[in-house]
Amino acid sequence: MLNLGLLLPVFALAGGALFLMFIDLLLPSTKFRRLYHLAWIFSLSVLVLQIAALGNPASRGSGTLWIADSFGSFIQLIILFTTTLCLLSTLDYRALPDRYAGTYCALMLLSAAGLLILISATDLLLAFIALELVSISSFVLAGFERKHPKSNEGAMKYFLFGAFSSALFIYGVSFYYGATGGTQLITGVAPSPLLILGLVLILLGFAFKASIAPMHFWVPDAYEGAPTPVTTFLSIAPKIATFGALMRMFGIVFPASSYDLQGLLGLLAILTMTIGNFTAFFQNDVKRILAYSSIAQAGYLLIGVAVGTLRGTEGVLIYSFVYVAMNIGAFAVAQAVGEASGSYCLDSFNGLGQRSLGISLGMTFCLLSLAGIPPMAGFMGKLYIFSSAVESGRWWLAVAGVVNSVASAYFYFRIAHRMFFRAPDNDSGPLIVGPYLYGGIAVAVVGVLLFGLNPEPLIAGVRASTPLLP
Amino acid sequence: MPMLSLIVWAPLAGALIVLMLPKEKVKTIQGVGFLAAGVSLLASLALIPQFDRSLASMQFVEKWSWIPSLNISYFLGVDGLSFPLVLLTTFMSVIALIGSLGISHRVKEYFFWFLALEVGMLGVFMALDLVLFYVFWEITLVPMYFLIGIWGGPRKEFAAIKFFLYTLSGSVFMLLGILAMYFRSAPHTFDMLELMRQQSSWDPRFQILVFLGLYFGLSIKIPAFPFHTWLPLAHVEAPTPISVILAAVLLKMGVYGLLRITYQITPQGFAWFLPALVVIATINIVYGALCALAQTDMKKMVAYSSVNHMGYCLLGIAGMSAPGFSGAILQMINHGIIAGALFLLVGVIYDRAHTRELSAFGGLAVKVPVYAGLMSLTCFASLGLPGLSGFISEFLCFLGAFQQWKWATTISVLGIIATAAFFLRALQKIFLGPLNEKWRDLDDINPRELASLLPLVAIMIWFGVAPSWPLNLMNATVAHLLGK
Repeated sequence: MLNLGLLLPVFALAGGALFLMFIDLLLPSTKFRRLYHLAWIFSLSVLVLQIAALGNPASRGSGTLWIADSFGSFIQLIILFTTTLCLLSTLDYRALPDRYAGTYCALMLLSAAGLLILISATDLLLAFIALELVSISSFVLAGFERKHPKSNEGAMKYFLFGAFSSALFIYGVSFYYGATGGTQLITGVAPSPLLILGLVLILLGFAFKASIAPMHFWVPDAYEGAPTPVTTFLSIAPKIATFGALMRMFGIVFPASSYDLQGLLGLLAILTMTIGNFTAFFQNDVKRILAYSSIAQAGYLLIGVAVGTLRGTEGVLIYSFVYVAMNIGAFAVAQAVGEASGSYCLDSFNGLGQRSLGISLGMTFCLLSLAGIPPMAGFMGKLYIFSSAVESGRWWLAVAGVVNSVASAYFYFRIAHRMFFRAPDNDSGPLIVGPYLYGGIAVAVVGVLLFGLNPEPLIAGVRASTPLLP
Repeated sequence: MPMLSLIVWAPLAGALIVLMLPKEKVKTIQGVGFLAAGVSLLASLALIPQFDRSLASMQFVEKWSWIPSLNISYFLGVDGLSFPLVLLTTFMSVIALIGSLGISHRVKEYFFWFLALEVGMLGVFMALDLVLFYVFWEITLVPMYFLIGIWGGPRKEFAAIKFFLYTLSGSVFMLLGILAMYFRSAPHTFDMLELMRQQSSWDPRFQILVFLGLYFGLSIKIPAFPFHTWLPLAHVEAPTPISVILAAVLLKMGVYGLLRITYQITPQGFAWFLPALVVIATINIVYGALCALAQTDMKKMVAYSSVNHMGYCLLGIAGMSAPGFSGAILQMINHGIIAGALFLLVGVIYDRAHTRELSAFGGLAVKVPVYAGLMSLTCFASLGLPGLSGFISEFLCFLGAFQQWKWATTISVLGIIATAAFFLRALQKIFLGPLNEKWRDLDDINPRELASLLPLVAIMIWFGVAPSWPLNLMNATVAHLLGK
């Protein structure tokens, strides 16, 4: 069955992107900012439609190469939500020239569309096309500040790494084809060396997008150089979508336990957390610190995948959801500070607590949440993920997770330290935050506190989405 | 009326109001702070007549479902073990707030963090659900980090992060222990009372492992040797009122957890560890006292005296007898009062002289007679002079432990001599001898400082001559703890 209707949200986004590119040509140059508004309204309306379709059985089913299930739509909601917020915060990002607004928004929407396909793909070729759509749009987005050498450097590294990992992925798919005779994801294939090799290569291809070690090297440079709203987007949406694809792959189709991949996944999880956290110690640029932190966060998520139980999957979904709130909050404050001071150096945070107490407390809450300290939402997510490791008897994963959380508190507190313990530079008044960015920070902080104090609705929602279609 | 919730959340309401006030309105901010802490104090005092001393079970229980999917509930209650500690917390918070009136720098943030800290401390003593307990436990960390790091002494920033990371690394292992118990129970629950009922079916090996995880977190907070190294630094660098809170309340969280969680939920692990606990208690007593003897900084001396006094608590617990347990609980209260007073007194002289070096003073008794009197009385209470509160609880701890651990108790009693030695030496160096001419113009204690100290001194004398009142609060629970 073709069932193209199931891909309606993807078509809506892609159509929106093409529409934006088209009217870009017709609009007078003074009105380019309206394209941003148009773009976030597009993204928001798709989000609303997706929420409205949640209970509708007609929106569920499987097509030839894709599937629309409650698991996928939960992750799609996360991606659409992130896209909307990132587009909103772009409105307060002055470093981007307005005349490229159409291109920028179109690339953002295309990237989001690619992620929506990725999470619904049940065929490796479709997954590959989706990955490429995401990658190519984000290479351009990462290098969008053309006059900025760091932006160019980051985009170039990102591109070279992306090309390399695409090659790995497609190489893995070719082994997979050899082992199963097709590219469709099918269950119950007997493990063979060829299949395992294919799966591992595919895993590495995904690892690139999800910034899992050892495929994480592009992350700090690309994140540092990219325009901050793009960095925010890159640190959340592709990562979560890839985790969705990973869970579909190693959770149901090729359960890691029956293909002897749990050890590998666990090892990668520990490696990712440790590299992310311990490298972040030595960074002095807030965007780089948050980049390494997002690598480490991928490690925590990978624990849930490595455990592979129902509780682990639920944990990954819960953590993904709260990760959106805390990461958007942290990056939005970083963007506000960076815009105001012209640099993302740690020094620009000096004395922020005395300049704007509210923003600083909001940032502190997001950082505490990233470090997994109660009563923030991040704690509930980590509690869930670590408890899945304890339940399945993988003590070493839980121990590695908590030790890493303690280590991470150190560098998250370096930012808090600057905000509260250092005196502000002379003659700096309160931090000026644009209205859209302010809204983004407010939404994030409310989310971080709300889901920390009352996680029940989130857990119930996730429990309703985890039963996966075959 | 949910009184316990009122006690816990009143400071939070105060903290949120403080956050909304403009930072120039210092008087209003202080007023709101006192109002919030005062509501907690009055509410906890109002519970005293209603508290049934003959009951060993939990009283004023409040239980609502919080996260039903994980079977986590909002479950508060107090018994003879926690109720005195709740009273101590609300009381010492108000005392520390009086001491905080001297803070003039970034007052708004200070009161916000202080009130947030009070929420965490009260919650720890009331929570009967392990996740709730852990959440409150961690809530105390963050405000403390900022309170030390912003308003502390010269090395405040290092002290703050050391305190934070040290305690956090302990508590995450506690979290793993909690998770392990959750998955062992059927149906899975974090309810402490339910876990106490189920623990008898758990095998000893499991109990020992869980105990070790929990003990690691708790012992850092106590602080028990060898995890005490964060304490002197944090104490010395923290501003006076925060040192008071740290010594009076935060350290008690560790001992409380030992009695409430490890002793009752993993008794076999606890019994297995008992010989080691006695050794640790003895080291805490003797080593703490000797370290205090070696200090020339008054605040550091008082900090090590806390290590020493928490050793008495541990020794009393290790005795596993009614006098031992009563002594340990009473010692927590007494140490809270006495160490709080000592830190306030050190703060008084530091505010005037800007030094805490023992050798910098001399002959001050003529210049500041009231101060000298209060200081001497408090030091005597701390070293266990009969007639003052410290004596009763230390005596009970020794009495309780002697039956089972004769050698350890004997060595620990010798530790008292070292305790007496460092306090007497301090008194001698500060107050006796010829007057150091540098301090000719030193002012005696002022009314605000007196207001914060007099209630503490009154309690020291009251509990010293009539200890039956606090002991009656806890007797039924102690008997229940020992299974009688």
